[in-house]
Amino acid sequence: MNAPIKKIYITTTILLLAFLQTALVAQQSDYQIQQNFSAELSELTQRIDTTQSPGELAKLEIELDELRSRYAEHEELINAALYPETYQKRMNETEEQLSVALDNASVIDQLNSRITSLVGEIDAYRSQITDLNENTQALREQLQRAESNEERQAALLTQYRQSLEERNSFVSGFLQNLMSRYQNVDLGTQQEIAEAAERLDDNPIEILKSIILDYINIVDESTSLETPDYVAMRAQHEYFSEVWNSIGSNLVNTFSPENSSETKTEIDELMAAWVLSVDNQLWESLNDTFSQNGIDLEVFTTPDEFYDAIYNYVDNGHVTSLERNSEEDFAVYQNFSTFWNETVKAEWGDMLIEGEILSQSQISEIDIKLNDWEEASKPTSNLMFILLIVSVAVIVGLIVLLITKKN
Amino acid sequence: MHLYTLTNSNNNFRMIIMKPMKFLKLPALLAFMLLLTGCGSSLVLENVDYSQPLESVLSPDSDGVVHDQRYAIQFNITPLLEYEGTDSVEEIRLIRNTPGFYFVTADGFSNVYIFSPGEGELSLHEEVELPDGPISEPAFNQRTTHIELINQSSGQTYNLDQNGIR
Repeated sequence: MNAPIKKIYITTTILLLAFLQTALVAQQSDYQIQQNFSAELSELTQRIDTTQSPGELAKLEIELDELRSRYAEHEELINAALYPETYQKRMNETEEQLSVALDNASVIDQLNSRITSLVGEIDAYRSQITDLNENTQALREQLQRAESNEERQAALLTQYRQSLEERNSFVSGFLQNLMSRYQNVDLGTQQEIAEAAERLDDNPIEILKSIILDYINIVDESTSLETPDYVAMRAQHEYFSEVWNSIGSNLVNTFSPENSSETKTEIDELMAAWVLSVDNQLWESLNDTFSQNGIDLEVFTTPDEFYDAIYNYVDNGHVTSLERNSEEDFAVYQNFSTFWNETVKAEWGDMLIEGEILSQSQISEIDIKLNDWEEASKPTSNLMFILLIVSVAVIVGLIVLLITKKN
Repeated sequence: MHLYTLTNSNNNFRMIIMKPMKFLKLPALLAFMLLLTGCGSSLVLENVDYSQPLESVLSPDSDGVVHDQRYAIQFNITPLLEYEGTDSVEEIRLIRNTPGFYFVTADGFSNVYIFSPGEGELSLHEEVELPDGPISEPAFNQRTTHIELINQSSGQTYNLDQNGIR
């Protein structure tokens, strides 16, 4: 095909295509255009209503743009068909609907991410607490088997205590994490998390329940623990209790919104059972420890009774010292003072306060009374009295000598 | 010339086919018209645009009545169907041009009927026979100077005004 013929061929083709396009445009029914517009827009709005994925909504946004560009030239026609509504109004409404749907999808997306993250964290906590429990359990069993070997038992007990401390530390971290997240969480966020949390198999409340049950189990089944261990446990309970009082309501509203009060009561009861288990061991152990150190206290089964028992012991010692001021009383004072200062205050002091077994002011009051006892119990010296007698005798002798010389 | 009229009497429309009438003598007619004009109001609003931007697609009810709520018109198409020689239609296409004439057709019609509105009636102003035979999937479009009729299945278009195909 030579060049001029080719040129004519191309020109003819272009003209033919242009004619066909014109013909096609001319064949459009105005009525059908507006019908198609309404149908397409309606279908699009329905899809926007039912789509939740941000990705799918982004595709619909493109489709809406395409629809707008396709029908923009027919705006006047569509306005006539839609009167009193307008093409722009319909498009703006759909864009607004899409914008709201995108916002909602974004919130849902964030919630899904939050849930995924929450599930991951809960799994990690569950896994770690299980490992710690297994380790503690294994050590407890080894302790029971090593009863005949004191040296080995001592080593195992040290490990066991370390394991309990590690567990306490981990639980405290978990509680701290919960505090930071849920202490000031607003109602809207609670509801959002609650909706998402319905899909969780496990949640922080369930973990808290199992942690408390594990604590009760440790207290009830451990036979090798001593007073400092129980004091530490009570301190841990009080910290747990403080956190629970602070975030318990928010947690149950978030993770158990349908029966929040029942769930809160259930945890409260578990907390009470835990402290009861600790106290059952603690008071007996404290009494034994004081007794083993030569300090026989009155019977006590509550923190107030414990304080009264110590205070009365010191007060009675003080009164006795005032009355007798014997070496024996001073020895009693010294024994108590040493145990009180070097063991009770130095080793257990912080945990006694944290566990609300003794308050700082109660410790101070005992200290004051102990000072009084010290003063009263110190043996009084006769040297001054003897010197006074001697002085008086010398003076009397000198006077007698002077009178004798004069005479 | 025959005069066909779609009228509304007691909610029933009927087509009256009037027989050829004898024309009055022209001078007498002019005098009569002048008399009528002189007796009536002289106020005339001009350049009225009656055009419907979009055709109406109307389905007749069981009595053959079509009702266009948007443009507020209702009439019975039974006489029209009889005239066209068909029993029934699913829907009719109706559009009004700028001077105020109504264009009516339907799928399978061989004609476009152009009516002028009167007092409680539509009078057939022009019957336009389509040159390519019965129309399939017709659609009217309002254009600036005319009404466009499309055969949507063949793509054939006709430009119409109240006097017929242009």
